Amino acid sequence: MADLGDAREDTLLAPIAQTGRGFYWAVALLSVPILWGVIAYSVQFYEGLGVTGLHQPVSWGFYVTNFVFFIGISHAGTLISAILRLSKAEWRRPITRMAEVITCMVLFIGAGQILVDLGRPDRLLNVILHGRYQSPLLWDATSISAYMTASLTYLYLPMIPDIAILRDRLGKRKLFYSVLALGWTGTERQQRVLNRAIAIMAVLVIPIAVSVHSVVSFVFSMTLQPMWHSTIFGPYFVVGAIFSGIAALIVSMIIFRKAYGLQHYLKPIHFRYLGQLLLVMALLWFYFTFAEYLTGYYGGEPEEMRVFWAKFTGPFWPFFWVMVLCNFVIPLICLVRLGRRTIGKVLTASLSIIVGMWLERFIIVVPTLSFPRLPFAEGIYWPTWVEWGETAGSFGLFALFYLLFTKFFPIISIWEIREGREVGLKEVEERLITYLPDEVEGKT
Amino acid sequence: MERPDSDFNRLVRTLQWVWLGAAILLVGGIISWIIHLIRTAWELGDVPSASIGVSLVAIPIFLVLVSVVLYVFWGLRSDGRER
Amino acid sequence: MALWGMVIDLDRCTGCQACVVACKAENNVPAVGEKEAKRERVISWMQVLTETDEEHHGEKMRFIPRPCLQCDDPPCTKVCPVYATYRNPEGIVAQIYARCIGCRFCMAACPYNAKYFNWHTYQKEGPGQNPDVSVRPKGVVEKCTFCHHRLQKARERALAEKRDFDPREYVPACAEACLAQAIVFGDLSDPSSEVAKLARSPRAFKLQEELGTKPKVIYLTEGEGGG
Repeated sequence: MADLGDAREDTLLAPIAQTGRGFYWAVALLSVPILWGVIAYSVQFYEGLGVTGLHQPVSWGFYVTNFVFFIGISHAGTLISAILRLSKAEWRRPITRMAEVITCMVLFIGAGQILVDLGRPDRLLNVILHGRYQSPLLWDATSISAYMTASLTYLYLPMIPDIAILRDRLGKRKLFYSVLALGWTGTERQQRVLNRAIAIMAVLVIPIAVSVHSVVSFVFSMTLQPMWHSTIFGPYFVVGAIFSGIAALIVSMIIFRKAYGLQHYLKPIHFRYLGQLLLVMALLWFYFTFAEYLTGYYGGEPEEMRVFWAKFTGPFWPFFWVMVLCNFVIPLICLVRLGRRTIGKVLTASLSIIVGMWLERFIIVVPTLSFPRLPFAEGIYWPTWVEWGETAGSFGLFALFYLLFTKFFPIISIWEIREGREVGLKEVEERLITYLPDEVEGKT
Repeated sequence: MERPDSDFNRLVRTLQWVWLGAAILLVGGIISWIIHLIRTAWELGDVPSASIGVSLVAIPIFLVLVSVVLYVFWGLRSDGRER
Repeated sequence: MALWGMVIDLDRCTGCQACVVACKAENNVPAVGEKEAKRERVISWMQVLTETDEEHHGEKMRFIPRPCLQCDDPPCTKVCPVYATYRNPEGIVAQIYARCIGCRFCMAACPYNAKYFNWHTYQKEGPGQNPDVSVRPKGVVEKCTFCHHRLQKARERALAEKRDFDPREYVPACAEACLAQAIVFGDLSDPSSEVAKLARSPRAFKLQEELGTKPKVIYLTEGEGGG
């Protein structure tokens, strides 16, 4: 039973059906930072990590910051998509696919950062052959593998009905789509199987996602270093991840909305709700940060205070206060009243948060290493062109992967929108009726 | 659905089995890797509790993942074929 | 089973850094060059830290020679992902250069900053090096090993000469070189050894003992200490 569908959905299939000049311009633009990154890493691979700004004692810098940052962004997707699905939020329908794609793509970039940071990437196999589970890096390897597998599955399963639409309507790449569609014809039994599988995945993916960034935080909190060895790191990092993830999701939504003309699907109401979520996360982030620094300050341990003051008034003060500005002040100003110019405000807040959250990771990694416990000379870290290039290349590569995805699969879930039109309205009405008080027998 | 025995459909079905095989291989590989790490830690006497603790959580998760994929594969294809 | 440890008498240390030079010569520690040194990448397995006395600010300096403290509960071995660093049964924390993937987690975890990284290929094998110590490639972490190769040599010599190995034959380069005889080395598990006796002195203290790393380099504070 071929799916001839709806002319309304042509906008969603257009990017896959034809490729405009804008696409080629975008690829050309992205290849600049990607090329810079490739050259930077080649130089580093040949010469050694000495081409970076790392030294004694700051032996972790941009790469580890990027690692935490990109893995953090991955929480956007699957977590938001899963939570919104489980809470039956109807406004999720045009958003879930974009969110899930972000997760899958950015996880590869994030894991790649660790590879770039290794002194001997040629010995990567040692982690597989001779790994030690006492090391938080192995917890990282395992949970990120689990998250990658789970999010790829969670991206693929809801895509199956859309792939079937492509198989039947598109005309090209028929073999590719036929294989992936697994014989989907939309029968009731198939729908039951798929919905059950998606529901299981939605529940499973949440604890996996929480474990991923907790485990990333454990890389720091399991050491004895001042301002790292803190019990708050697990939840702090997860909150920060969701925070930065929603911001990244919003930015990519706005970009593709403009590029592919999706204004009818991604409406101000969607951005308004996401903006409200973002505001809640900003407040939550601020609460965790406040609790963390107040505890350190009140205790007044000398070694912790050295790092504390370095962040507040010492060499790192610009990064610290810009971070507070970007993560708290600007988002609060933008998001408190979302009535008019919703999308502009939400975009400003999101871009600000992306910068702020990157700075937050930097502020966690570098100052602690710069101020060792024993009386060493303090190390001030200056990144080189190699590290900037690698960072630019990583962003560029992520954007490229995302762009390429939209050329093969619809960026908005066609069948979920359909489901919203055909089934969602009725379901919501029925649900609302169950919330209202029951009619009592016998009374007029 | 088109003629079930056409060359195209046979190719599609073969590739779908390859696809499923790759997924099982990936998850199976990850689970064997975890078991290998437990064995190494045991033989070297190096905190085997850490390995066992992590694997008690990780291995069931991977097993559930591959079961979901298998379930979907079986559920969708068998129904598609019956019609 | 021996438990190798070291006692450093801070009252005797003059800050001459003969131990630093001897260690570098013995262990093929590369001279990283002026450019790299300016970028703070000097590798110094034994390093002399300077601390100004709190009471006499600017007047008195304290010199603290800091080798790897060979902890009995090392934070570095816990976090290594590939068994490249481990504590051997005689208490020496070993470093396996061929296994190390250069993730530098152990460097981040060490509260004493005793670990160093080869940011470039600082040297290749060549004449003038100590043939008993391997030359490290780029991208791996290295640190003080209590001149473990000297222990192996001393044991093999005793075996070849068909006699018992005497713990006093094993002396790391820094202890041997110290002109003030501030560094005493030996078997901590032998209560009659000089190092064990000094470790029980009322002047003895451990760096950052409250962290629970159980370091086996014990310092003797200046003056009479104690009561």
